[in-house]
Amino acid sequence: MEISVLRLLEKTADKFGGKTAYADSENSLTFAEVEEKAKRLGSALSEMIPPRSPVAIMTGRNVLTPVVFLGVVYAGCFYAPMDCTQPTARLKDILSVLQPKILLADSEGMKTAKELGFEGEILLTDDLFAHDIDRCALDARARSACADDPLYTIFTSGSTGKPKGVITSMMSLMCYISAYIEVMGIDENDRLGNQSPLDYIAAVRDIYIPIFTGASMFIIPKQCFMMPAELFRVMNEQKITAVGWSVSVFTIAVKLKAFAESKPEYLKKVCFSGSVMPCSALKAWQEALPDTKFVNQYGPTECTASCTYHEVEGIVDEGDTLPIGKPYRNYRVFLLDDNDKEVPVGEQGEICVAGPILALGYYNNKELTDKSFIQNPLNKAFGELIYKTGDYGVLREDGVMLFKGRKDRQIKHLGHRVELSEIESAAMRLDSIKDSCAMYQKEKELIWLFYTGTASVKEAAVHFRGILPGFMVPRKLIQLEELPHLPNGKVNMQALKDMMK
Amino acid sequence: MKEQLMEVLEEIRPDVDFENEKQLITDGVLDSFDIVSLVTALNDQFDIEIEVGSLVPDNFNSIEGMMALIEKLQDED
Repeated sequence: MEISVLRLLEKTADKFGGKTAYADSENSLTFAEVEEKAKRLGSALSEMIPPRSPVAIMTGRNVLTPVVFLGVVYAGCFYAPMDCTQPTARLKDILSVLQPKILLADSEGMKTAKELGFEGEILLTDDLFAHDIDRCALDARARSACADDPLYTIFTSGSTGKPKGVITSMMSLMCYISAYIEVMGIDENDRLGNQSPLDYIAAVRDIYIPIFTGASMFIIPKQCFMMPAELFRVMNEQKITAVGWSVSVFTIAVKLKAFAESKPEYLKKVCFSGSVMPCSALKAWQEALPDTKFVNQYGPTECTASCTYHEVEGIVDEGDTLPIGKPYRNYRVFLLDDNDKEVPVGEQGEICVAGPILALGYYNNKELTDKSFIQNPLNKAFGELIYKTGDYGVLREDGVMLFKGRKDRQIKHLGHRVELSEIESAAMRLDSIKDSCAMYQKEKELIWLFYTGTASVKEAAVHFRGILPGFMVPRKLIQLEELPHLPNGKVNMQALKDMMK
Repeated sequence: MKEQLMEVLEEIRPDVDFENEKQLITDGVLDSFDIVSLVTALNDQFDIEIEVGSLVPDNFNSIEGMMALIEKLQDED
Protein backbone atom coordinates (compact mmCIF):
# COMPACT_ATOMS: atom_id res chain seq x y z
CA MET A 1 0.00 0.00 0.00
CA GLU A 2 1.25 3.45 -0.94
CA ILE A 3 1.36 5.46 2.26
CA SER A 4 1.73 8.97 0.90
CA VAL A 5 -1.33 10.62 -0.50
CA LEU A 6 0.94 12.94 -2.50
CA ARG A 7 2.76 10.09 -4.28
CA LEU A 8 -0.68 8.65 -5.08
CA LEU A 9 -1.76 11.98 -6.52
CA GLU A 10 1.34 12.05 -8.71
CA LYS A 11 0.76 8.49 -9.93
CA THR A 12 -2.87 9.24 -10.72
CA ALA A 13 -1.89 12.46 -12.47
CA ASP A 14 0.61 10.46 -14.59
CA LYS A 15 -2.07 8.01 -15.59
CA PHE A 16 -5.10 10.31 -15.88
CA GLY A 17 -3.38 13.70 -16.28
CA GLY A 18 -5.89 15.33 -18.62
CA LYS A 19 -8.94 13.97 -16.86
CA THR A 20 -11.10 16.07 -14.55
CA ALA A 21 -10.34 15.55 -10.88
CA TYR A 22 -12.60 18.18 -9.33
CA ALA A 23 -15.37 20.27 -10.85
CA ASP A 24 -18.00 22.71 -9.64
CA SER A 25 -20.70 24.62 -11.54
CA GLU A 26 -18.18 27.11 -12.85
CA ASN A 27 -14.74 25.51 -13.04
CA SER A 28 -12.96 22.22 -13.32
CA LEU A 29 -9.40 21.06 -12.69
CA THR A 30 -7.58 18.10 -14.21
CA PHE A 31 -5.38 15.84 -12.11
CA ALA A 32 -2.31 17.43 -13.67
CA GLU A 33 -3.56 20.89 -12.73
CA VAL A 34 -4.34 19.79 -9.19
CA GLU A 35 -0.81 18.44 -8.78
CA GLU A 36 0.79 21.53 -10.22
CA LYS A 37 -1.21 24.04 -8.21
CA ALA A 38 -0.82 22.10 -4.97
CA LYS A 39 2.95 21.97 -5.50
CA ARG A 40 3.05 25.73 -6.07
CA LEU A 41 1.14 26.46 -2.89
CA GLY A 42 3.21 23.92 -0.97
CA SER A 43 6.44 25.48 -2.21
CA ALA A 44 5.32 28.91 -1.04
CA LEU A 45 4.27 27.63 2.38
CA SER A 46 7.46 25.65 2.94
CA GLU A 47 9.39 28.93 2.97
CA MET A 48 7.25 30.25 5.81
CA ILE A 49 6.58 27.51 8.34
CA PRO A 50 8.23 24.32 9.57
CA PRO A 51 6.75 20.89 8.78
CA ARG A 52 3.87 19.62 10.91
CA SER A 53 2.51 23.13 11.51
CA PRO A 54 -1.24 23.75 11.49
CA VAL A 55 -2.61 25.96 8.72
CA ALA A 56 -6.12 27.41 9.06
CA ILE A 57 -8.08 27.48 5.81
CA MET A 58 -11.03 29.70 4.96
CA THR A 59 -12.04 29.00 1.39
CA GLY A 60 -15.32 28.54 -0.42
CA ARG A 61 -17.28 25.66 -1.84
CA ASN A 62 -15.31 25.35 -5.08
CA VAL A 63 -12.69 23.25 -6.90
CA LEU A 64 -9.72 25.10 -5.45
CA THR A 65 -10.42 24.22 -1.82
CA PRO A 66 -9.21 20.59 -2.06
CA VAL A 67 -6.14 21.88 -3.91
CA VAL A 68 -5.36 24.27 -1.04
CA PHE A 69 -5.57 21.32 1.35
CA LEU A 70 -3.17 19.27 -0.78
CA GLY A 71 -0.82 22.23 -1.07
CA VAL A 72 -0.59 22.40 2.70
CA VAL A 73 0.23 18.68 2.72
CA TYR A 74 3.01 19.24 0.13
CA ALA A 75 4.56 21.64 2.65
CA GLY A 76 4.57 18.78 5.18
CA CYS A 77 1.95 20.64 7.23
CA PHE A 78 -1.66 19.92 8.10
CA TYR A 79 -4.81 21.85 7.37
CA ALA A 80 -7.71 22.91 9.54
CA PRO A 81 -10.67 23.92 7.37
CA MET A 82 -12.97 26.60 8.77
CA ASP A 83 -16.40 27.32 7.31
CA CYS A 84 -16.47 31.09 6.76
CA THR A 85 -20.26 31.14 6.97
CA GLN A 86 -20.02 30.16 10.62
CA PRO A 87 -20.41 32.92 13.20
CA THR A 88 -17.17 34.80 13.91
CA ALA A 89 -17.33 33.92 17.62
CA ARG A 90 -17.02 30.25 16.74
CA LEU A 91 -14.26 30.84 14.20
CA LYS A 92 -12.35 32.75 16.89
CA ASP A 93 -12.81 29.81 19.27
CA ILE A 94 -11.33 27.49 16.66
CA LEU A 95 -8.33 29.77 16.09
CA SER A 96 -7.73 30.04 19.83
CA VAL A 97 -7.42 26.25 20.02
CA LEU A 98 -5.43 25.83 16.82
CA GLN A 99 -3.07 28.82 17.22
CA PRO A 100 -1.81 28.68 13.64
CA LYS A 101 0.88 31.01 12.31
CA ILE A 102 -0.85 31.20 8.95
CA LEU A 103 -4.44 31.48 7.82
CA LEU A 104 -5.09 30.93 4.11
CA ALA A 105 -8.19 32.55 2.65
CA ASP A 106 -9.55 32.95 -0.84
CA SER A 107 -11.19 36.18 -1.99
CA GLU A 108 -14.51 34.88 -0.65
CA GLY A 109 -13.20 34.09 2.83
CA MET A 110 -10.87 37.07 3.13
CA LYS A 111 -13.40 39.55 4.51
CA THR A 112 -14.43 37.26 7.37
CA ALA A 113 -10.81 36.21 7.96
CA LYS A 114 -9.83 39.82 8.57
CA GLU A 115 -12.59 40.28 11.13
CA LEU A 116 -11.29 37.59 13.48
CA GLY A 117 -8.57 39.59 15.21
CA PHE A 118 -6.13 36.91 14.09
CA GLU A 119 -2.57 37.67 15.17
CA GLY A 120 -0.76 35.50 12.63
CA GLU A 121 -0.45 36.09 8.91
CA ILE A 122 -3.47 36.01 6.61
CA LEU A 123 -2.50 35.07 3.05
CA LEU A 124 -4.49 35.02 -0.15
CA THR A 125 -4.51 31.56 -1.76
CA ASP A 126 -4.24 33.02 -5.28
CA ASP A 127 -0.93 34.64 -4.35
CA LEU A 128 0.45 31.31 -3.21
CA PHE A 129 -0.77 29.55 -6.35
CA ALA A 130 1.38 32.00 -8.32
CA HIS A 131 4.58 30.88 -6.54
CA ASP A 132 7.15 28.85 -8.51
CA ILE A 133 7.47 25.16 -7.76
CA ASP A 134 10.54 24.59 -5.61
CA ARG A 135 11.45 20.93 -6.18
CA CYS A 136 14.26 20.90 -3.61
CA ALA A 137 12.03 22.28 -0.88
CA LEU A 138 9.22 19.83 -1.64
CA ASP A 139 11.65 16.88 -1.78
CA ALA A 140 13.05 17.86 1.59
CA ARG A 141 9.56 18.02 3.09
CA ALA A 142 8.69 14.64 1.55
CA ARG A 143 11.84 13.03 2.97
CA SER A 144 11.15 14.23 6.50
CA ALA A 145 7.50 13.12 6.43
CA CYS A 146 6.25 10.11 8.40
CA ALA A 147 3.11 8.09 7.70
CA ASP A 148 1.61 9.10 11.02
CA ASP A 149 2.09 12.85 10.56
CA PRO A 150 -1.10 14.88 11.01
CA LEU A 151 -2.99 15.39 7.76
CA TYR A 152 -5.88 17.55 8.94
CA THR A 153 -7.69 18.75 12.02
CA ILE A 154 -11.46 18.94 11.89
CA PHE A 155 -13.39 20.76 14.57
CA THR A 156 -16.44 19.26 16.13
CA SER A 157 -18.84 20.20 18.94
CA GLY A 158 -17.24 20.04 22.41
CA SER A 159 -19.23 19.48 25.59
CA THR A 160 -17.43 22.26 27.47
CA GLY A 161 -18.68 24.84 24.99
CA LYS A 162 -15.47 25.07 22.96
CA PRO A 163 -15.10 23.15 19.71
CA LYS A 164 -12.47 20.40 19.77
CA GLY A 165 -10.08 19.67 16.92
CA VAL A 166 -9.77 16.00 15.99
CA ILE A 167 -6.34 15.32 14.42
CA THR A 168 -6.19 12.66 11.72
CA SER A 169 -2.93 11.26 10.36
CA MET A 170 -2.19 10.55 6.72
CA MET A 171 -1.90 6.85 7.50
CA SER A 172 -5.39 6.78 9.02
CA LEU A 173 -6.85 8.52 6.01
CA MET A 174 -5.08 6.11 3.62
CA CYS A 175 -6.52 3.13 5.53
CA TYR A 176 -10.04 4.52 5.51
CA ILE A 177 -10.21 5.60 1.88
CA SER A 178 -8.80 2.32 0.56
CA ALA A 179 -11.23 0.31 2.72
CA TYR A 180 -14.16 2.50 1.60
CA ILE A 181 -13.29 2.17 -2.10
CA GLU A 182 -13.14 -1.60 -1.72
CA VAL A 183 -16.59 -1.73 -0.09
CA MET A 184 -18.24 0.67 -2.53
CA GLY A 185 -16.45 -0.69 -5.59
CA ILE A 186 -15.49 2.74 -6.91
CA ASP A 187 -13.13 3.06 -9.87
CA GLU A 188 -11.95 5.58 -12.45
CA ASN A 189 -15.27 5.42 -14.33
CA ASP A 190 -17.22 6.83 -11.42
CA ARG A 191 -18.37 10.40 -11.01
CA LEU A 192 -18.82 11.40 -7.41
CA GLY A 193 -21.38 13.99 -6.33
CA ASN A 194 -20.21 15.94 -3.31
CA GLN A 195 -22.77 17.11 -0.76
CA SER A 196 -20.76 17.50 2.42
CA PRO A 197 -19.37 20.97 3.16
CA LEU A 198 -15.68 20.75 2.24
CA ASP A 199 -14.62 21.66 5.78
CA TYR A 200 -16.61 18.76 7.21
CA ILE A 201 -15.36 15.25 7.89
CA ALA A 202 -17.56 13.50 5.31
CA ALA A 203 -15.88 15.49 2.52
CA VAL A 204 -12.62 13.53 2.92
CA ARG A 205 -14.11 10.82 0.71
CA ASP A 206 -15.00 13.22 -2.07
CA ILE A 207 -11.59 14.88 -1.89
CA TYR A 208 -9.42 11.75 -1.71
CA ILE A 209 -11.29 9.08 -3.70
CA PRO A 210 -10.36 10.78 -7.01
CA ILE A 211 -6.70 10.71 -5.96
CA PHE A 212 -6.93 6.99 -5.19
CA THR A 213 -8.92 5.91 -8.24
CA GLY A 214 -8.89 8.51 -11.00
CA ALA A 215 -12.64 9.09 -10.52
CA SER A 216 -13.96 12.64 -10.99
CA MET A 217 -15.75 14.59 -8.27
CA PHE A 218 -18.40 17.25 -8.81
CA ILE A 219 -19.23 19.75 -6.07
CA ILE A 220 -23.03 20.05 -6.14
CA PRO A 221 -24.26 23.59 -5.36
CA LYS A 222 -25.56 23.85 -1.81
CA GLN A 223 -28.99 25.15 -2.74
CA CYS A 224 -29.73 22.00 -4.77
CA PHE A 225 -30.17 20.16 -1.51
CA MET A 226 -33.24 22.25 -0.75
CA MET A 227 -34.68 21.79 -4.22
CA PRO A 228 -34.74 18.06 -5.10
CA ALA A 229 -35.90 18.54 -8.71
CA GLU A 230 -32.92 20.80 -9.28
CA LEU A 231 -30.66 18.32 -7.46
CA PHE A 232 -31.67 15.46 -9.74
CA ARG A 233 -31.38 17.65 -12.83
CA VAL A 234 -27.79 18.57 -11.91
CA MET A 235 -26.94 14.96 -11.04
CA ASN A 236 -28.23 13.75 -14.38
CA GLU A 237 -26.48 16.51 -16.27
CA GLN A 238 -23.23 15.57 -14.51
CA LYS A 239 -23.92 11.82 -14.77
CA ILE A 240 -23.24 11.31 -11.07
CA THR A 241 -22.74 7.59 -10.30
CA ALA A 242 -21.66 7.50 -6.66
CA VAL A 243 -22.42 9.53 -3.56
CA GLY A 244 -21.58 9.47 0.14
CA TRP A 245 -24.15 11.71 1.78
CA SER A 246 -25.56 12.60 5.14
CA VAL A 247 -28.73 10.72 6.07
CA SER A 248 -30.66 13.98 6.34
CA VAL A 249 -30.30 14.61 2.59
CA PHE A 250 -32.10 11.36 1.84
CA THR A 251 -34.88 11.96 4.36
CA ILE A 252 -35.41 15.58 3.26
CA ALA A 253 -35.66 14.49 -0.39
CA VAL A 254 -38.37 12.00 0.54
CA LYS A 255 -40.25 14.57 2.66
CA LEU A 256 -40.23 16.92 -0.33
CA LYS A 257 -41.55 14.14 -2.60
CA ALA A 258 -38.42 14.25 -4.70
CA PHE A 259 -39.23 11.23 -6.86
CA ALA A 260 -42.57 12.57 -8.11
CA GLU A 261 -41.13 13.86 -11.37
CA SER A 262 -37.59 12.56 -11.83
CA LYS A 263 -34.75 10.57 -10.34
CA PRO A 264 -30.95 10.46 -10.52
CA GLU A 265 -30.66 8.15 -13.52
CA TYR A 266 -26.97 7.32 -13.29
CA LEU A 267 -26.67 6.81 -9.55
CA LYS A 268 -25.42 3.29 -8.77
CA LYS A 269 -23.46 3.50 -5.50
CA VAL A 270 -24.85 5.18 -2.41
CA CYS A 271 -23.36 5.42 1.05
CA PHE A 272 -25.18 7.21 3.84
CA SER A 273 -23.93 8.12 7.28
CA GLY A 274 -24.19 10.68 10.05
CA SER A 275 -27.26 9.39 11.84
CA VAL A 276 -29.71 6.50 11.89
CA MET A 277 -31.42 6.10 8.50
CA PRO A 278 -35.20 5.73 8.86
CA CYS A 279 -36.15 2.68 6.79
CA SER A 280 -39.23 4.46 5.44
CA ALA A 281 -36.95 6.96 3.66
CA LEU A 282 -34.50 4.28 2.51
CA LYS A 283 -37.36 2.25 1.07
CA ALA A 284 -38.46 5.19 -1.08
CA TRP A 285 -34.92 5.53 -2.46
CA GLN A 286 -34.57 1.80 -3.06
CA GLU A 287 -37.86 1.66 -4.93
CA ALA A 288 -36.88 4.62 -7.10
CA LEU A 289 -33.42 3.17 -7.75
CA PRO A 290 -33.79 -0.64 -7.77
CA ASP A 291 -30.36 -1.34 -9.28
CA THR A 292 -28.42 0.85 -6.87
CA LYS A 293 -26.24 -0.37 -4.04
CA PHE A 294 -27.00 1.19 -0.63
CA VAL A 295 -24.48 1.09 2.20
CA ASN A 296 -25.04 2.26 5.77
CA GLN A 297 -21.89 3.58 7.43
CA TYR A 298 -21.30 4.24 11.09
CA GLY A 299 -18.46 5.89 12.94
CA PRO A 300 -17.12 9.01 14.63
CA THR A 301 -14.55 11.56 13.43
CA GLU A 302 -12.12 10.16 16.03
CA CYS A 303 -11.85 6.96 13.96
CA THR A 304 -11.32 8.65 10.59
CA ALA A 305 -14.97 9.21 9.82
CA SER A 306 -16.12 5.65 10.22
CA CYS A 307 -15.85 2.22 11.83
CA THR A 308 -18.36 -0.12 10.30
CA TYR A 309 -20.45 -0.56 7.17
CA HIS A 310 -23.49 -2.54 6.18
CA GLU A 311 -24.59 -3.20 2.65
CA VAL A 312 -28.37 -3.26 2.51
CA GLU A 313 -29.72 -6.49 1.01
CA GLY A 314 -33.10 -6.30 -0.69
CA ILE A 315 -35.70 -3.62 -0.19
CA VAL A 316 -36.19 -2.79 3.49
CA ASP A 317 -39.50 -2.75 5.35
CA GLU A 318 -40.60 0.40 7.10
CA GLY A 319 -40.34 -1.17 10.54
CA ASP A 320 -36.79 -2.55 10.02
CA THR A 321 -33.73 -1.40 11.91
CA LEU A 322 -30.60 -1.20 9.80
CA PRO A 323 -27.51 -2.81 11.33
CA ILE A 324 -24.32 -0.74 11.40
CA GLY A 325 -22.61 -3.87 10.17
CA LYS A 326 -19.02 -5.07 10.21
CA PRO A 327 -15.73 -3.23 10.65
CA TYR A 328 -13.92 -1.83 7.63
CA ARG A 329 -10.50 -3.30 6.91
CA ASN A 330 -7.90 -1.99 9.39
CA TYR A 331 -10.57 -1.18 11.97
CA ARG A 332 -10.78 -3.21 15.17
CA VAL A 333 -14.25 -2.74 16.67
CA PHE A 334 -15.49 -4.39 19.87
CA LEU A 335 -17.77 -3.88 22.87
CA LEU A 336 -16.84 -3.24 26.51
CA ASP A 337 -19.12 -3.15 29.52
CA ASP A 338 -18.98 -0.58 32.34
CA ASN A 339 -16.24 -2.58 34.06
CA ASP A 340 -14.09 -2.70 30.92
CA LYS A 341 -14.80 -6.37 30.36
CA GLU A 342 -15.61 -7.87 26.97
CA VAL A 343 -19.34 -8.16 26.31
CA PRO A 344 -20.75 -11.53 25.20
CA VAL A 345 -22.56 -11.86 21.86
CA GLY A 346 -26.13 -10.57 22.06
CA GLU A 347 -25.53 -8.22 24.99
CA GLN A 348 -25.18 -4.47 24.97
CA GLY A 349 -21.86 -2.69 25.48
CA GLU A 350 -20.00 0.47 24.54
CA ILE A 351 -18.57 0.47 21.02
CA CYS A 352 -14.76 0.73 21.19
CA VAL A 353 -12.35 1.11 18.30
CA ALA A 354 -8.65 0.44 17.79
CA GLY A 355 -6.27 0.32 14.85
CA PRO A 356 -4.20 2.60 12.64
CA ILE A 357 -7.33 4.64 11.92
CA LEU A 358 -7.46 6.13 15.41
CA ALA A 359 -7.13 9.91 15.55
CA LEU A 360 -3.98 11.41 17.06
CA GLY A 361 -6.18 13.07 19.66
CA TYR A 362 -7.62 16.53 20.18
CA TYR A 363 -5.34 19.35 19.12
CA ASN A 364 -3.80 21.30 22.02
CA ASN A 365 -5.91 19.40 24.52
CA LYS A 366 -3.83 16.73 26.21
CA GLU A 367 -6.24 16.30 29.08
CA LEU A 368 -9.21 15.43 26.90
CA THR A 369 -7.00 13.32 24.59
CA ASP A 370 -5.71 11.22 27.51
CA LYS A 371 -9.22 10.78 28.80
CA SER A 372 -10.67 9.73 25.45
CA PHE A 373 -7.89 7.61 23.94
CA ILE A 374 -6.91 4.99 26.48
CA GLN A 375 -4.90 1.78 26.70
CA ASN A 376 -7.03 -1.18 25.66
CA PRO A 377 -8.07 -2.64 29.04
CA LEU A 378 -8.18 -6.12 27.46
CA ASN A 379 -4.55 -5.89 26.33
CA LYS A 380 -1.96 -6.23 29.10
CA ALA A 381 0.81 -7.33 26.72
CA PHE A 382 1.61 -4.25 24.62
CA GLY A 383 0.65 -0.66 24.00
CA GLU A 384 -2.64 -0.37 22.13
CA LEU A 385 -4.83 2.70 22.29
CA ILE A 386 -8.57 2.51 21.89
CA TYR A 387 -11.28 5.12 21.51
CA LYS A 388 -14.49 4.66 23.44
CA THR A 389 -17.18 6.09 21.19
CA GLY A 390 -19.85 6.70 23.84
CA ASP A 391 -22.24 4.74 21.59
CA TYR A 392 -23.91 1.52 22.64
CA GLY A 393 -24.00 -1.53 20.41
CA VAL A 394 -24.91 -5.20 20.34
CA LEU A 395 -23.04 -7.85 18.38
CA ARG A 396 -25.19 -10.41 16.62
CA GLU A 397 -24.30 -14.09 16.27
CA ASP A 398 -23.25 -13.48 12.63
CA GLY A 399 -20.72 -10.78 13.58
CA VAL A 400 -22.96 -7.92 12.49
CA MET A 401 -23.31 -5.00 14.91
CA LEU A 402 -26.46 -3.11 15.85
CA PHE A 403 -26.53 0.47 17.10
CA LYS A 404 -28.27 1.03 20.43
CA GLY A 405 -28.02 4.74 21.12
CA ARG A 406 -25.86 7.14 23.12
CA LYS A 407 -24.36 7.03 26.58
CA ASP A 408 -24.35 10.81 27.12
CA ARG A 409 -26.05 13.96 25.85
CA GLN A 410 -24.37 14.00 22.47
CA ILE A 411 -26.82 13.84 19.58
CA LYS A 412 -26.58 13.40 15.83
CA HIS A 413 -28.59 16.12 14.16
CA LEU A 414 -28.83 16.58 10.38
CA GLY A 415 -25.60 14.63 10.02
CA HIS A 416 -23.71 16.72 12.53
CA ARG A 417 -22.59 15.79 15.98
CA VAL A 418 -23.95 18.14 18.62
CA GLU A 419 -23.28 18.28 22.35
CA LEU A 420 -26.46 19.58 23.96
CA SER A 421 -24.36 21.06 26.75
CA GLU A 422 -22.54 23.22 24.18
CA ILE A 423 -25.87 24.83 23.31
CA GLU A 424 -26.51 25.49 27.00
CA SER A 425 -23.05 27.06 27.37
CA ALA A 426 -23.88 29.26 24.40
CA ALA A 427 -27.19 30.24 26.00
CA MET A 428 -25.40 31.36 29.16
CA ARG A 429 -23.37 33.83 27.09
CA LEU A 430 -26.54 35.93 26.76
CA ASP A 431 -26.97 37.93 29.98
CA SER A 432 -30.75 37.89 29.76
CA ILE A 433 -30.84 34.07 29.94
CA LYS A 434 -30.51 32.77 33.48
CA ASP A 435 -30.75 29.03 33.13
CA SER A 436 -31.39 26.61 30.31
CA CYS A 437 -31.71 23.02 29.25
CA ALA A 438 -31.36 21.78 25.65
CA MET A 439 -33.30 18.70 24.56
CA TYR A 440 -33.59 16.74 21.34
CA GLN A 441 -36.82 15.50 19.81
CA LYS A 442 -35.51 12.76 17.57
CA GLU A 443 -38.70 11.91 15.66
CA LYS A 444 -39.05 15.48 14.42
CA GLU A 445 -35.31 16.24 14.27
CA LEU A 446 -35.82 19.31 16.45
CA ILE A 447 -33.49 20.84 19.02
CA TRP A 448 -35.45 22.50 21.83
CA LEU A 449 -34.15 24.93 24.39
CA PHE A 450 -36.06 25.57 27.58
CA TYR A 451 -34.79 28.67 29.32
CA THR A 452 -35.50 31.14 32.08
CA GLY A 453 -34.71 34.84 32.05
CA THR A 454 -35.99 37.96 30.35
CA ALA A 455 -34.72 37.25 26.79
CA SER A 456 -37.50 37.10 24.19
CA VAL A 457 -37.60 34.15 21.81
CA LYS A 458 -36.47 36.44 19.00
CA GLU A 459 -33.53 37.82 21.02
CA ALA A 460 -32.47 34.30 21.93
CA ALA A 461 -32.73 33.11 18.29
CA VAL A 462 -30.66 36.05 17.04
CA HIS A 463 -28.09 35.43 19.79
CA PHE A 464 -27.67 31.76 18.82
CA ARG A 465 -27.37 32.60 15.13
CA GLY A 466 -24.52 34.89 16.11
CA ILE A 467 -22.42 32.30 17.91
CA LEU A 468 -23.41 28.80 16.81
CA PRO A 469 -23.37 27.09 13.41
CA GLY A 470 -26.88 26.99 11.92
CA PHE A 471 -27.48 23.31 12.55
CA MET A 472 -26.86 23.78 16.29
CA VAL A 473 -29.36 26.62 16.73
CA PRO A 474 -32.41 25.42 18.71
CA ARG A 475 -35.52 25.44 16.52
CA LYS A 476 -37.92 25.56 19.43
CA LEU A 477 -37.23 28.13 22.11
CA ILE A 478 -39.46 27.91 25.15
CA GLN A 479 -39.32 30.56 27.85
CA LEU A 480 -40.26 29.26 31.31
CA GLU A 481 -40.73 30.89 34.70
CA GLU A 482 -38.55 28.15 36.11
CA LEU A 483 -37.03 24.89 34.86
CA PRO A 484 -38.65 21.81 36.43
CA HIS A 485 -36.32 20.16 38.94
CA LEU A 486 -36.08 16.74 40.55
CA PRO A 487 -35.82 16.47 44.37
CA ASN A 488 -32.03 16.04 44.01
CA GLY A 489 -31.77 19.43 42.32
CA LYS A 490 -31.13 18.13 38.79
CA VAL A 491 -33.24 19.33 35.88
CA ASN A 492 -36.24 17.09 35.38
CA MET A 493 -35.69 16.10 31.77
CA GLN A 494 -38.70 13.80 31.73
CA ALA A 495 -40.95 16.77 32.51
CA LEU A 496 -39.33 18.70 29.66
CA LYS A 497 -39.77 15.72 27.35
CA ASP A 498 -43.49 15.79 28.12
CA MET A 499 -43.60 19.47 27.14
CA MET A 500 -42.19 18.61 23.70
CA LYS A 501 -45.24 16.49 22.84
CA MET B 1 -52.60 36.35 3.61
CA LYS B 2 -49.33 38.18 4.20
CA GLU B 3 -49.90 38.31 7.95
CA GLN B 4 -50.64 34.61 8.06
CA LEU B 5 -47.50 33.91 6.03
CA MET B 6 -45.37 36.13 8.26
CA GLU B 7 -46.65 34.21 11.28
CA VAL B 8 -45.58 30.92 9.73
CA LEU B 9 -42.17 32.31 8.84
CA GLU B 10 -41.61 33.91 12.26
CA GLU B 11 -42.38 30.60 13.90
CA ILE B 12 -39.81 28.78 11.76
CA ARG B 13 -37.03 31.39 11.85
CA PRO B 14 -37.63 34.16 14.42
CA ASP B 15 -34.18 35.61 13.70
CA VAL B 16 -34.72 36.40 10.01
CA ASP B 17 -35.93 39.75 8.66
CA PHE B 18 -38.36 38.39 6.09
CA GLU B 19 -39.62 41.84 5.05
CA ASN B 20 -36.22 42.80 3.68
CA GLU B 21 -34.45 39.55 2.76
CA LYS B 22 -34.98 38.95 -0.96
CA GLN B 23 -32.45 36.13 -1.49
CA LEU B 24 -33.51 33.67 1.20
CA ILE B 25 -32.44 30.64 -0.84
CA THR B 26 -29.73 32.03 -3.11
CA ASP B 27 -27.87 33.64 -0.19
CA GLY B 28 -28.31 30.57 1.98
CA VAL B 29 -30.38 32.31 4.69
CA LEU B 30 -32.75 29.35 4.82
CA ASP B 31 -31.40 25.80 4.95
CA SER B 32 -32.93 22.57 3.75
CA PHE B 33 -34.39 21.88 7.17
CA ASP B 34 -36.21 25.25 7.06
CA ILE B 35 -37.60 24.39 3.64
CA VAL B 36 -39.07 21.11 4.85
CA SER B 37 -40.69 22.88 7.84
CA LEU B 38 -41.88 25.69 5.60
CA VAL B 39 -43.43 23.45 2.92
CA THR B 40 -45.24 21.43 5.58
CA ALA B 41 -46.51 24.58 7.33
CA LEU B 42 -47.61 26.29 4.11
CA ASN B 43 -49.47 23.18 2.94
CA ASP B 44 -51.33 23.07 6.27
CA GLN B 45 -51.99 26.77 6.70
CA PHE B 46 -53.12 27.55 3.18
CA ASP B 47 -54.61 24.20 2.27
CA ILE B 48 -52.36 23.74 -0.75
CA GLU B 49 -50.05 21.00 -2.03
CA ILE B 50 -46.59 22.27 -2.94
CA GLU B 51 -45.14 19.82 -5.47
CA VAL B 52 -41.46 19.14 -5.95
CA GLY B 53 -41.54 21.05 -9.26
CA SER B 54 -42.49 24.25 -7.41
CA LEU B 55 -39.43 24.00 -5.22
CA VAL B 56 -37.29 26.49 -7.10
CA PRO B 57 -35.38 29.45 -5.64
CA ASP B 58 -37.73 32.04 -7.22
CA ASN B 59 -40.70 30.74 -5.26
CA PHE B 60 -38.93 30.91 -1.90
CA ASN B 61 -36.38 33.70 -2.14
CA SER B 62 -38.79 36.33 -0.77
CA ILE B 63 -42.23 36.68 0.82
CA GLU B 64 -43.46 38.06 -2.50
CA GLY B 65 -42.37 34.87 -4.26
CA MET B 66 -44.04 32.72 -1.62
CA MET B 67 -47.28 34.73 -1.82
CA ALA B 68 -47.34 34.39 -5.59
CA LEU B 69 -46.86 30.64 -5.28
CA ILE B 70 -49.60 30.30 -2.66
CA GLU B 71 -52.03 32.34 -4.77
CA LYS B 72 -51.24 30.32 -7.87
CA LEU B 73 -51.81 27.02 -6.06
CA GLN B 74 -55.01 28.24 -4.43
CA ASP B 75 -56.36 29.35 -7.83
CA GLU B 76 -55.68 25.91 -9.28
CA ASP B 77 -58.12 24.33 -6.85
